[in-house]
Amino acid sequence: MTRDEIINHILHIFQKEFEIENPGLDDDLREEHEFDSIDAVELLLQIEKMLGSELTQEEKKQAMDIRTINQIVDYIERLARARQTLLD
Amino acid sequence: MERRVVITACSAITPIGRTKAEILHALRNGVSGIKPLKEDGLLSGHIHSKVFGAVDYPITYDFKRTFRKTMGPVAYYACQVAKETLESSGLDQAFITSGRLGVAFGSTHGSPTVQREIYKTFFGGTRDDVRSIGAVDYLKSMVHTTAVNITKMFGITGRVISSSTACTTSSQSIGFGYEMVKFGMQDAMLCGGADEYDTTTVAVFDNLLACSTAFNATPHLTPRPFDVKRDGLVVGEGAGAVLLEEYDHARKRGAEILGEVIGFSCNNNGGDLILPNLQGISETIRIGLRDAHLAADQVDFISAHATGTKMGDVIEAQAIFDVYGDRPPIVGLKSYMGHTMGSCGAIETIILLHLMREGYIVPTLNLEDIDERCAMIRHSREVRDYPVRIAVVQNFAFGGVNTNLFIKKPD
Repeated sequence: MTRDEIINHILHIFQKEFEIENPGLDDDLREEHEFDSIDAVELLLQIEKMLGSELTQEEKKQAMDIRTINQIVDYIERLARARQTLLD
Repeated sequence: MERRVVITACSAITPIGRTKAEILHALRNGVSGIKPLKEDGLLSGHIHSKVFGAVDYPITYDFKRTFRKTMGPVAYYACQVAKETLESSGLDQAFITSGRLGVAFGSTHGSPTVQREIYKTFFGGTRDDVRSIGAVDYLKSMVHTTAVNITKMFGITGRVISSSTACTTSSQSIGFGYEMVKFGMQDAMLCGGADEYDTTTVAVFDNLLACSTAFNATPHLTPRPFDVKRDGLVVGEGAGAVLLEEYDHARKRGAEILGEVIGFSCNNNGGDLILPNLQGISETIRIGLRDAHLAADQVDFISAHATGTKMGDVIEAQAIFDVYGDRPPIVGLKSYMGHTMGSCGAIETIILLHLMREGYIVPTLNLEDIDERCAMIRHSREVRDYPVRIAVVQNFAFGGVNTNLFIKKPD
């Protein structure tokens, strides 16, 4: 998947699972869209489905500082590189 | 320090309606809220009792996703009556979030609907399914889900009490809330209880032979508190909330006072967890009278727990007679809507507020032929004008827990 495709996939998840429509890619999701720790845990499950593999506890902890869509995409790209999945 | 505690707002979801007008219409016209038990594909086929006190009308919820995501059906009920109560109270947002308002709200066992889904996943799922059980499922199903979803939705930062004592859940909520305000721990308490549609509870009582089974084809004819043909309770669903407020606080802000809580008692039978206990119940009534500084002859009207079980009604009638004699009229409100479990104490309190305001009392539905063992008390048999200044809500629960709430009409 290209970065744009990952962004579109994440935006789709945000719309479907979190009822957050078209957030700005650098919006602070917590401050501007009430995206909280419970949502973050749900998002990790979605990312696992996307990658087709479980995240380690260490990888999950790394996600807890994420605040924006761009950071989420960076995070997914790192995970995918480590697994050699998703990327072209 | 002892302060006066008044009720300044309320809201209910019941099998006989939502609004004061709907509920009073049902009570005045003998309309039952008991319906056929719905098929649930799990327990309904094994349960002998085929009746349920159902909330079978649509309720429109206007909750944002940020609130919905931690709510099971029971929390929807709880948050809806809490929302309506706070809105009608006129309390400003600064007070609601000040820490001076607390919440006392509970349910019998959180959300059994969500719990059922979790167990289905546990026992039938793959590893991926099991991993999908997350924090949200616990927040939706946990025992104090009603109380904390309310605090979250309205930003309430005061004390949280979440009773979960089956049939005395919401009468404890009101009673403990009353004590919080009376003794100056909080200036107001949002109190109540809720329980969702659930066949697990029916199955429990059904196994104990405590559910009504003889009126499956005519649900409106059961339960029948104090009637010779009564054959058990009917489980129901619903929610009720009241706002308790310190009297001077309410008066200064010009709030409408619906009633005053003047006494509360709660004790335990100290033994058997199921059987009704004459001594325990009689003692609850006496403790409550002392707390309310009342003589027995000052009580005008009693809402009995009156579930319609064979022995429970007899023991309760005996306890009432031992303390009050045959003077105050007695009504069993569960005859209209079944046993709404964790919400019954709050719903019955709200109905008493309405009746006190309107100046009439209503009969126990389906009470056609009084069991001679229950005949020594004065049963309310018809709708009639009857001024009530002080009324009592009696509730008794599995576990041997007993409560009495004493409510006074505003001066």
